[in-house]
Amino acid sequence: MGGKLRRRAVITGAAGMLALPGKAPAAVGAKPLSGVTLNVSCWNAPYPQFLKKYIPEFEQETGARVVYTTPAFPIYNQRMDIALATHSDAYDVINVTFIYIGRWVGAGWMTPLDPLIADPKLTPANWDPKDFLPGIEAAFRDAKGQLCAVPWIADVMMGGAARYDLIRAAGLTMPDTFDEMHKMLAAVSHKDGLPGFVVENHYGWTFLGYLQGFGANVFRAPPHDLMPVLDTPEAVQAAEFFATIMRDYGPRGALSYTYDQVTAALKAAKVIYSTENEAFVTQMAQKGAAAAPTCGFSLFPKGPAGRFPQIATHGWGIPAGSRKKDAAWQFIAWAMSKKLLLRMFREQGWSSVTRRSIIDLPEFHAKLNYNGFDVAKIYLETLNLADKGYMAYRTVPAYPQIDRQINIALQSVISGEKKAAQAMKDAQHNSLEALRRAGVKL
Amino acid sequence: MSAGAGWARAQRRAFLLGLAPALIVLAAVTVGPAVYLVATSLTPLTPVKPGSGLDFSHPLGNYIQALFQSSFPHSVLLQAELSVLTVGMQTLAGVGLALLLDVESRWMEVLRTGFLVPMVLPPIVVAIIWKVLTTPDVSPAYSLLAWFGLRPGSLVTNPVTALPLIAFADTWEWFPFTMLMVLAALQMQPREQLEAARIDGANSRQMFWHVRLPFIRPALTVAVLFRLIDSIKAFPLIYVLTDGGPGRATEVTNYYAFIQTFNFAYWGYGSAIATMMVAGVFALSLLIGRLGFGRDEDA
Repeated sequence: MGGKLRRRAVITGAAGMLALPGKAPAAVGAKPLSGVTLNVSCWNAPYPQFLKKYIPEFEQETGARVVYTTPAFPIYNQRMDIALATHSDAYDVINVTFIYIGRWVGAGWMTPLDPLIADPKLTPANWDPKDFLPGIEAAFRDAKGQLCAVPWIADVMMGGAARYDLIRAAGLTMPDTFDEMHKMLAAVSHKDGLPGFVVENHYGWTFLGYLQGFGANVFRAPPHDLMPVLDTPEAVQAAEFFATIMRDYGPRGALSYTYDQVTAALKAAKVIYSTENEAFVTQMAQKGAAAAPTCGFSLFPKGPAGRFPQIATHGWGIPAGSRKKDAAWQFIAWAMSKKLLLRMFREQGWSSVTRRSIIDLPEFHAKLNYNGFDVAKIYLETLNLADKGYMAYRTVPAYPQIDRQINIALQSVISGEKKAAQAMKDAQHNSLEALRRAGVKL
Repeated sequence: MSAGAGWARAQRRAFLLGLAPALIVLAAVTVGPAVYLVATSLTPLTPVKPGSGLDFSHPLGNYIQALFQSSFPHSVLLQAELSVLTVGMQTLAGVGLALLLDVESRWMEVLRTGFLVPMVLPPIVVAIIWKVLTTPDVSPAYSLLAWFGLRPGSLVTNPVTALPLIAFADTWEWFPFTMLMVLAALQMQPREQLEAARIDGANSRQMFWHVRLPFIRPALTVAVLFRLIDSIKAFPLIYVLTDGGPGRATEVTNYYAFIQTFNFAYWGYGSAIATMMVAGVFALSLLIGRLGFGRDEDA
């Protein structure tokens, strides 16, 4: 019996291979990517963890084996930077990190995806590439306008309270301005022994909404005029404000809080309020989270110069060095298909989606209503705000260097090592030096 | 006579031939990369600029930039502070415990083994242990202090305490090395010397300074040298606990080179920092050798 089966399999396979080279497995009903191993990597975030649960289905459907790794954000970026720079074939599908878009896409290290999208043999007719939010997708286009990654997240920064009940008890609502936020934190911090405020210690990201809210910026007029402007009176004022709320209302060791610690503290209702990414704060509303019954949401508060919620995007791309580009694209097309994204939304609550057709669904709005807060509305309003173009600073190729200078400056102010004016002056000096060294003409 | 000379030549040739494979492997795995490191340090190599690895037009550019840029000298000063603190604490703890454990007893043998545990743990595990211990929300040490009504701030996010904390954690991990070296030396000391000193009326202090310390000095010098070199390589504790911060409070030279190379992709500049570090360690080793701390006085 077994011998017969084996013989039949061998004969069928051999006949298929002889008849249709390269297409044989599909023609005879075998799996199209049998024997292919895809190395896929993304930094560790909620979405890649959600996706992980569906990968066995892709393997089952296509016959491919997927080696899937999700290291921490800094480790991931360092690892990919080296792999891409050396044109390594170690990875087939990778996340294109927002702050590295300028470098990775600009240097031609990513594969243009348009020919793969246009290939009917590789992309299903109903895949609908125009469904992706155009403003978000535009970030991944190179100088020639070619798409180099498909965005899997449109992450917007917003206000989130794990203990909205304490805010209500103080006679207040979710703060809409920096002033209201400060008053609210003064009123509720240390109630029930809880710190009032915390954000992740990546201040080159979490501080920027405050910097711009006070009327300052990183560069004078990015992406064309990259003169840093970190030592303006507005920038100093923003640093003072941010450091004050972190110092006075933050937990002990607030400077060491990474994004996963912030998310865990919010979910466990161990901190009252934060301004963080939608993907992190909405986890407070998950079933089983201690904060679920008491959480509240709002737009990122506005400062004297307006409202500047930060928006990030990350996307799936194929390194130029990959030797399995067709198979890699099939993985991306599967991972970013409407069908799978809708399942991820329905089954796991993934809501930072980049496909307009899902955002427009009535069930999207209904599901993103937590304790009476319309998070879908906040999400869309924030995405519309991004059209003002204030995120242009972030895709400057030398931004990672400036990001570190901002981190160092804010750490120095929050820890009390330096006054805000001195720290921002140092950040300006070091940023100038870093940009000149990167070959930027100022 | 000529037959003898011919035999000696043949013997030399045979020795060289025998040594050749080992020398070739040694050159391939050590000298080769070292030469490449120095060559790279003379270029502005960065992966975002093709051909930059072959640009030798400003060979000293990276070195000039390092020496006249504020961050590098600052990192060297921090490195010196960290090295003095860690080597000092490890020497004191290692010698002190070795003297206490230099007793013939089964219990002492068990205790000695126990003291070795931190040293055999993988460095990243040590860093995670200290991360837990120093994070107020989850630290058992902070919980214990809270039980006594104390609420100290976080030591890793305070610019005054961050570097001493790294030094303390490093000492916890590596003092057993010094202890082991010194203990081995102490146990080799002839008991007659100790008895003679006691008969001559030497007190404990005199015994240590004039009998024990001179005897263990060569071993202690080797231990200090090893620890000094290792302190310059400090990385996992800083990476996990402080990421070089707060501000630049723990951005020692090694970490500075790491950031420049792997975060900003300045590979040529990173190579220049690494080359200077190698030269510094080499000079320190020579200096310690020349000062004669490692010489046995009886020799």
